[in-house]
Amino acid sequence: MGQYPERLDGIFQALADPTRRAVLGRLAKGPAGISDLAKPFDMTLPSFMKHIHLLEGTGLIRTRKEGRVRTCALETKPFAVVEAWLSAQRAIWEARTDRLEQFVITAQEKDKKK
Amino acid sequence: MIRPLDPDLDLTISRVIKAPRSAIWSAWTDPASFEQWWVPAPAKSKVLEMDLSPGGSFVTQISENGGPFMPHMSGCFLAIDHLERIVFTNSLVGGWRPAESPLMTAIITLRDHPTGTEYSAHVMHKNNADRKMHEEMGFYDGWGTVTAQLAALVERRA
Repeated sequence: MGQYPERLDGIFQALADPTRRAVLGRLAKGPAGISDLAKPFDMTLPSFMKHIHLLEGTGLIRTRKEGRVRTCALETKPFAVVEAWLSAQRAIWEARTDRLEQFVITAQEKDKKK
Repeated sequence: MIRPLDPDLDLTISRVIKAPRSAIWSAWTDPASFEQWWVPAPAKSKVLEMDLSPGGSFVTQISENGGPFMPHMSGCFLAIDHLERIVFTNSLVGGWRPAESPLMTAIITLRDHPTGTEYSAHVMHKNNADRKMHEEMGFYDGWGTVTAQLAALVERRA
């Protein structure tokens, strides 16, 4: 992963959390208000806002206040940092092969014990 | 076989797995086993169709964060050589019908190796412009896909 700039560390950290990934997944479909975004999650608004602030801090999303409603939208620039799309594909297949290997080895060990 | 390599669009993963070909073949071709490793935990995979013959349908779904199962892989097998090779693509669906958003063909090869099996996955992609169409992780949008791919990278780093 050495080819990725340091900035990616923050992005990776932001993405390491399932709530934040779900928020990004939702925003991938279009901008949304905070209350709509928070709805699927069983947590207090202040807790949810921490996730929003973290995402905003890494530049993954931007928020804008119109009247009393704060709207979030995906910021596409940080994603452009990851230009090596094929590297991401490779990572998926590497991880998939890791899991296959793990599965096969584990299954074999189970058989031996029988 | 003629298999020209395009470094911008192709990738090859090669690995020696300390298990006989039959064990790996079964992990790949038994749907219940396949579901256990195809997607990264905690996401779950479900095999809807796995018709292991040329032209046979290959359809899987994915569930993320305990959510409903969504389309994941929708493709068709091109070649099935028992214990040796599995070729599939998402450019076609079952019965060789052209797919909505073709992106890749994958060739999985198993070869005997002194310490087990040499497992290799050769994946050929159509082009980078199409990557936004890629629904690899169940999202319907390009950026969502990139997010998911990044998440996969995170998983590997963890």
